[in-house]
Amino acid sequence: MNADQWLHAFAAELHHDRVAPEDIRHVVAEAATHLRDGGGDPWTVFGPPDRYAAVIAESVGTRPAPRPGPVLLHAEGITKRYGRRTVLRDAGLTVRAGQIAAVIGANGCGKSTFLRICAGLASPDRGQVTLAGRLAYCPQQGGTADFLLPDEHFVLVGAGRGMTRSTARRAGRATARQLGWESADPVPARQLSGGTRQKLNLTLSTLNEPDILLLDEPYQGFDRGSYVNFWDQLLRLRDAGRAIVVVTHLLNQLDRVDLVLDLTPAVPGGRPCTG
Amino acid sequence: MHRLSTVAEMTLRELVRRRGVLLLLLLMPLAFYLIRRDAYIGQSVRALLLGIAWAVSTAALFTTGAARDLEPRLRLAGYRPHHLYLGRMLGLWVIGLVIAVPFFGLVAVDSDGLRYGGVAAAMLCAVAVAAPFGMLIGAVLPRELEGTLLLLTVVTVQMLLDPAEAGARLTPFWSCREIATWAVDHTDDSYLTRGVLHAVAVTALLVLAVAGAVSARLRRRRHVRQLPVT
Repeated sequence: MNADQWLHAFAAELHHDRVAPEDIRHVVAEAATHLRDGGGDPWTVFGPPDRYAAVIAESVGTRPAPRPGPVLLHAEGITKRYGRRTVLRDAGLTVRAGQIAAVIGANGCGKSTFLRICAGLASPDRGQVTLAGRLAYCPQQGGTADFLLPDEHFVLVGAGRGMTRSTARRAGRATARQLGWESADPVPARQLSGGTRQKLNLTLSTLNEPDILLLDEPYQGFDRGSYVNFWDQLLRLRDAGRAIVVVTHLLNQLDRVDLVLDLTPAVPGGRPCTG
Repeated sequence: MHRLSTVAEMTLRELVRRRGVLLLLLLMPLAFYLIRRDAYIGQSVRALLLGIAWAVSTAALFTTGAARDLEPRLRLAGYRPHHLYLGRMLGLWVIGLVIAVPFFGLVAVDSDGLRYGGVAAAMLCAVAVAAPFGMLIGAVLPRELEGTLLLLTVVTVQMLLDPAEAGARLTPFWSCREIATWAVDHTDDSYLTRGVLHAVAVTALLVLAVAGAVSARLRRRRHVRQLPVT
């Protein structure tokens, strides 16, 4: 990790720790000046970004966490069978505006199925989903067109909500930039690397400013920097009042989320608990 | 209209960017035309029409398959099912015309004494029927191998069946052969009328069937209740 990447990760950690934006700008600029003038490896000078961010957060103080808003997604009694195999049994989840929920569980326990049912892309055998707001869904795979350029994807998806071409392109490029990707290059989606294609996938999900965002393991193929940017963006969206559900198998990120739904079969039906 | 034209435009862009596919789409009717060229010109024109129909149907089949993963996302992004299937169909019709125009020129240069308006009408009918036909197969059979085999079967039956047989009218591209007979053999106008009516009816039926299949797949599920934001 070079100095720029360290500073980026540091800023994301400060944001996560709810340090005020003006304080973040100030502290990051100070650290950058220190590194530029004094040289040296930031890991040696400051240590890991998360630990240094925690120290700074303690010293400068943090903003109070926004109170969760109204319920935007409520799924209850979701049961789904494939043939004789019951994949989901009576699973439920309630997510409010300004919350991130993680759906976890072993492979094949129905995480993606649960998300598709919440998105209305698959029908359950039993149960109901109530949505209050516009929803967007980022699938684990697919969701992009091989022979279209990133800008064309933005125009296509943006047109769904009546965005003009230039607005959609501008919004798409700005969102991609927040994930550390300059998307203006005219490269068809099939020629993008796996991680970059996934950034395109994720960018398309947030393009229309949805109220509810469903993400099915959206970070596959991300390098460390992109992964940090991804969580940084999720936290920004949460602070902006979005309800986010993210399927994940990376349990080390659970401290960043507000709710956890564990669909592991040993937990009958999946049990939401405070994260 | 904006959404419909955007889907049509992106369908065109995707196809145009696949230069190899475009080349093969042109090669297929050309091969059909040339293989029968040493015989009577009428056979060449009929084979050419089937070649165009096959090329456009195949393009429609694969385009529909490729869009399968993207369409649910577009549905959630604000598109209605009819924007998606009509937009895609519009794009395929334009591509079909782009394929047909050079072959019309070829027939005009390479033949003599035909009713060229009839040849053009037969090509239009081939394109009009082929796009929804390929899309329907793509919508009903999600796996491309099955879809391609079905398409191959239908076109082969169409090619081998005697158009005078009653059963031939049930094949999708019967209209092209009728209109081609009118154009090449100078038969009476009932051939043209029958052909045009058949093409209109089959296209309408196919568009309705595509609408049904796509709308069913992308329908709003009953378990989802949408409330206004409070």
